[in-house]
Amino acid sequence: MSQFSRRQFTGLLAGAAGALAMPSLAFGAVPRVVVVGGGAGGATAARYIAKDSKGAINVTLVEASKQYYTCFFSNLYLGGFRDYGSIGHGYDNLSNNHGVNVVHDWAASVDGSRKVLKLASGAELPYDRLVLSPGIDLNYESVPGYSAEAQTRMPHAWKSGTQVKVLRDQVMNMKQGGTFVMVAPPNPYRCPPGPYERVSMIAHTFSQVNPTAKIIILDPKEKFSKQGLFMAGWEKHYPGMIEWIDPATHGGILNVNAETMEIETDIDTFKADAACVIPGQRAGSIAMAAGVNDGSWCPIMPATMASKADPNIYVLGDASVAASMPKSGFSANSQAKVAANAIRGELTGSRVYEPRFANTCWSLIATNDGVKVGANYKAGAEKIDVVDKFVSQGGESDAVRKETYEESIGWYNGITADMFS
Amino acid sequence: MTRAKKAPTLGVLAMGMTLATALPSVVQADDDILAKADFGYGEYLSGECVTCHQQNGSNQGLPSITGLDAESFAQIMLAYRNKELDNNVMQNVASRLDDEQIASLAVYFASLPPEE
Repeated sequence: MSQFSRRQFTGLLAGAAGALAMPSLAFGAVPRVVVVGGGAGGATAARYIAKDSKGAINVTLVEASKQYYTCFFSNLYLGGFRDYGSIGHGYDNLSNNHGVNVVHDWAASVDGSRKVLKLASGAELPYDRLVLSPGIDLNYESVPGYSAEAQTRMPHAWKSGTQVKVLRDQVMNMKQGGTFVMVAPPNPYRCPPGPYERVSMIAHTFSQVNPTAKIIILDPKEKFSKQGLFMAGWEKHYPGMIEWIDPATHGGILNVNAETMEIETDIDTFKADAACVIPGQRAGSIAMAAGVNDGSWCPIMPATMASKADPNIYVLGDASVAASMPKSGFSANSQAKVAANAIRGELTGSRVYEPRFANTCWSLIATNDGVKVGANYKAGAEKIDVVDKFVSQGGESDAVRKETYEESIGWYNGITADMFS
Repeated sequence: MTRAKKAPTLGVLAMGMTLATALPSVVQADDDILAKADFGYGEYLSGECVTCHQQNGSNQGLPSITGLDAESFAQIMLAYRNKELDNNVMQNVASRLDDEQIASLAVYFASLPPEE
């Protein structure tokens, strides 16, 4: 076990939380938890708090979309391994099976002193604990020339949904022998292997419908996640198709122009026939409106995922500063269970166990060629610390790579059931 | 706690899953390991498992782990912890589980209905 024994941890948290929980408990009211964001962090948190409290906590989930399209596996849609419908999920089961009140609206602002969430419709939702899991917003200005308007011709497709369909259409319709350019994001960003899995999947599609196409990656980073595995896979499956250009070589991305489809760098101007521009990122805007951010992201207490700025607000997933964990759906799901356990303990006095975090990121390079990287973590005093980690090795057998891909399908089915069933 | 039902689970595992191919004979579950089980703790710990293995026992790409004989479950987890079974995700999960935690998970998952 980590630094606390289980029972010591229970005692510490119960003692600290008891006073906070008293107002709700003292008047006999059912405590209220409001969750903002219905992705891997928010849907999991809402489901676990409702499921495990068995009616002792009133849970409301605020999510604008009625149908949620996962970011994870959206690359497999780009590669033709999944259809779009298969990555879409609804919220009916959370209502019907666990009694979660699902409100399809935008969260507009937070009044932390009154403990009220205000919605775009004007409605107010009072809370005892607020869970913010809003994912990311895009810093368009991090790429000169890029904008919300430019994303129609140069989709980022980094929040799944219709942007991914736009990108798929542009890949499928690119002229024969044309050039596809990706501008990769700067650190930190959602899904570290994601841009490179995306390139793999687009290359897979090109290998079938446009075999003389080229892909150029203009990267602001000097290195990237699972770099050796991806580059070996590209050489094996798509020889000569993909060129990764590091910042020392391109000298910096000076401008993108969605009208002319030109990307200007310090050394050259690249003319794209289709492009994907993934800009820098920050916590979703409701986290900023709540004032729980420090700069672009939201610091948390590693043991509970409670905000360092407001003990009644929890921040999960991509919006949080959860280093050493990467910003991933798996991480958010893991963090949500830690927060759910802590929140139930605070509000109902249920047993609180030691926090446990884990993550695995699977990536598909080509048909039946899956790779993965993962770790387990514990709550340190200042941050979430790695305990033990692993990564796929170069030169693994075809059977191992196929098994890794099949494992990722099992994970997708598992995590989406853990979020939405 | 009561000992979970004895079932021919290793046979079932070998048939239905890839993970239970030839458990090394050196791995023996401590006879008393299940005495350390804490059902509620197992339910909490199961959150880590059900990110991938479905709680309803559905098997879509990964082995079902519900409704297994608790001793067999514990034996398999010990084998992953000892790196006697391959799969780096499972070795990573098992590497930080102590005997009490493995027993608690085993008893909790044994209580859930098996794959239909």
